[in-house]
Amino acid sequence: MADVTTADQLDDSVVSEPLDLVRLSLSERVFVKLKGDREIRGTLHGYDSHCNLVLSEVEETVYVMDDDSDVLKTIKKQSEMLFVRGDAVVLISPPQRT
Amino acid sequence: MATSQLLPLELVDKCVGSRIWVVMKTDREFSGTLLGFDDFVNMVLSDVTEYDALGNQTHLSKILLNGNNICMLIPGGEPSGENGATEE
Amino acid sequence: MSSAASPGSPSPEAPSNNPSAFLSQITGAKVSVKLNSGVEYRGDLQCVDGYMNIALEQTEEYVEGELKNKYGDVFVRGNNVLYIGVE
Repeated sequence: MADVTTADQLDDSVVSEPLDLVRLSLSERVFVKLKGDREIRGTLHGYDSHCNLVLSEVEETVYVMDDDSDVLKTIKKQSEMLFVRGDAVVLISPPQRT
Repeated sequence: MATSQLLPLELVDKCVGSRIWVVMKTDREFSGTLLGFDDFVNMVLSDVTEYDALGNQTHLSKILLNGNNICMLIPGGEPSGENGATEE
Repeated sequence: MSSAASPGSPSPEAPSNNPSAFLSQITGAKVSVKLNSGVEYRGDLQCVDGYMNIALEQTEEYVEGELKNKYGDVFVRGNNVLYIGVE
């Protein structure tokens, strides 16, 4: 157990627990899927164990069904800085690693 | 009297190795062979059939089912219908 | 039975039937992760933690059985997970 932890600390590119993926995405552009058909793209500045996130230069996309026409509409919003509450997070996808 | 209580997790433990019917809080059910479980009643099931709200069936060879959204466990059961296997 | 809630550290000779043993057995394998919403993610399982947070590699997103998206890596928050199955 202790050995594993030490090895991970030495090699910080290792994904030994799922949140390591998020750690490796700090200061990178990430894609975040949220509950309620919302998606966010932005630069990840911080996170915690609840998956609360701080993102900047954010583009948010909301998918809504238009009641009258039954057409799926997309609404886009831009924000400079954003806090995301962790319990709304469904998934976080970092940029492709090389 | 007091000694005859069957703890809920003891009932689950008795089901290990046999077929079990799992009803989720949502409109979803599973039947499969219970291989094991933990204190959260997360369960490993094999030879699983998943029944969704529309009655669609999906076969899964082996899964870890999240215990968080389980409503009921029915030992030996199969979801109602033609294949309801009641033992004689 | 009493200490079964730590998926990361099964004893080596534990029978491969409890959740933590199953997880270590399928780590690295191709798995499908179904969420409560019905959306399914298929990819290589990197790791899982005690919250059932999941890290996947080479991930494909299926909505109603149709491939909708591909991601290199994906972190899935555990509260959304319905099940993890082997392909």
